[in-house]
Amino acid sequence: MKIVICAKEVLDPDAVDNYVLVGKLEIGNDGKTLTQKAIPRLMNGYDEQAIECALQLRDAGLDCKIHVVAVATDPTKILQHAVAMGADEVAAIPVDTGTVDGYATASLLAAFVRSLGGADLVLCGRQASDGDQAVVPGLLGEMLKMPIVTVARAVQMAGGTTVRVTRVTPDGDEIVEVSCPAVITISNEFGAPRYPTGMRTMKARKVKPQQVTPDSLSLGEGGGRPRMTMTRQFVEAIAGNCEFIQGSSPAAAAQELLKRLRADRVIE
Amino acid sequence: MSNSVVVCTWDQGRKGTPAGAEETLTLARNLAAAAGLELNWVVAGPAPDRVPEIAAKYGVVHLDRIENAKLADFQPDVCVEALAQYCKEHTPKLVLIPQTFDARLVAPRLAARAGAGVVMNALELAVENGTVRVTASAYGGDTRVVYELTGAESCVVGVLADMLLAEAPEGKAAEPAVRQVSVDLGGVEERVRIIQKAHLEGPRLEEAQIIVSGGMGLGQKENFRLVEDLAQALGGMAAASRPVVENGWIDSSRQVGLTGKITRPVLYLGAGISGASQHMVGCTAAKTIVAINKDPDAAIFKYARYGIVGDAMEILPEITKAVKGA
Repeated sequence: MKIVICAKEVLDPDAVDNYVLVGKLEIGNDGKTLTQKAIPRLMNGYDEQAIECALQLRDAGLDCKIHVVAVATDPTKILQHAVAMGADEVAAIPVDTGTVDGYATASLLAAFVRSLGGADLVLCGRQASDGDQAVVPGLLGEMLKMPIVTVARAVQMAGGTTVRVTRVTPDGDEIVEVSCPAVITISNEFGAPRYPTGMRTMKARKVKPQQVTPDSLSLGEGGGRPRMTMTRQFVEAIAGNCEFIQGSSPAAAAQELLKRLRADRVIE
Repeated sequence: MSNSVVVCTWDQGRKGTPAGAEETLTLARNLAAAAGLELNWVVAGPAPDRVPEIAAKYGVVHLDRIENAKLADFQPDVCVEALAQYCKEHTPKLVLIPQTFDARLVAPRLAARAGAGVVMNALELAVENGTVRVTASAYGGDTRVVYELTGAESCVVGVLADMLLAEAPEGKAAEPAVRQVSVDLGGVEERVRIIQKAHLEGPRLEEAQIIVSGGMGLGQKENFRLVEDLAQALGGMAAASRPVVENGWIDSSRQVGLTGKITRPVLYLGAGISGASQHMVGCTAAKTIVAINKDPDAAIFKYARYGIVGDAMEILPEITKAVKGA
């Protein structure tokens, strides 16, 4: 069985959040790029969990080859991390990250999967922690004519080519089955990805990902063309009008708070 | 390409209104008026009771009905096919979809079928000199990103309706022209089989009027009871930040934030929550936010109306006591 995981390189969202919280996020002269060098670049956390999902299927006895592919300016580091986690093959599709949108990315990934002769399972993170768009898996599924199952907390083989997926929905868990080939997106509820040993990480640093240029992929007529262009990024100012309630004791503060909330008719 | 913006719904919603329809119609109507586009509304499957009335209220020109037995319940393959056929025939410039859980799956798939651009998490829309511009939330609400439609004629937009306000235009409502749209769904077989449906027992966090929410500042699972006690005393619901849910202190149906529920209660009381953007996305639409945190610099105070700097473990029981004593 062939499993392809699509991985994205992102800026550490926690670091971005920290800079925003202290009001020090820097945006470059182009008005959209986050420029702070101190913000680490790493693999999208949900994509790591997608790799973990594939590794767990293998641990459960599935005979499979695990490919990880990334579309980015230079995704070498995250692909080496994928190898350290246990991926068999890694491929980089080098493009200027700033020039592609979800549509173009999905077109490249679809063409890559076709160039492998297809895949039985395509696993993606539920969304990328930078743009939060979550559109690539849906686009990719359509382009590959595969069914799509989103936000999985558990994935297991259920006999033959049937996969059983537990989805995290707003109404609780839903269990579905789908036949391969299929696209499945993995949610944070899947659980923490394994942390590769130092030895594996050292060894993976020597791995050079296969370079697959966009020109070498058959994208079809105009297929790889981006539809959307990001033109601006900014931090929205928060007004902030918090009134701090003082009290000589927790009990006094509690009483004072209730008094205010009742006066505002927030509670009865 | 027709010069239209179409709001697209299929869910039955609650109280006769598809989820997020009014907020999305507000955005669509303002855009249509500013950019000279025709405002239409396509309803796939059975239309909830209030649809004609709401369509009139927002000045919808055409109410397009796709009625087909296969659309009785939401099925993604069927829904995508029906809407793809609709888009092919009516070629709207913009397709606006209230961003429900199912919409997150349908919107990109529809865009792929139509060769259209797609943007989710949208909060604002504009057409300037013929260029479509969508402002969306990114980095879990930390930043806003503006996307322009540059490489296609049309665009599918998922609207974060839960974060927007519905505002009907003033003036007299005009009846929309109802068009029956026929689609051929004969060849569509749903590829994903549901083995066990999701089943939510009890009330929904999204509909709660009062929410008491706890974060990691509570220290340990045993202390989460203090959040539940106050929620109960106030007749509200208990909720939590993502780390709390990941630690198993409370069920994931109670997670507030970008990857959880987007809530809009009258009162949101956050205890021991630092206020990371991805959490605040899920509660900034609350009418009143109250924050309790040891750290006076915690981000949540920037969003809060009232704040108490202190230990949630000491303050929560006192509020509960005061509520009960009243």
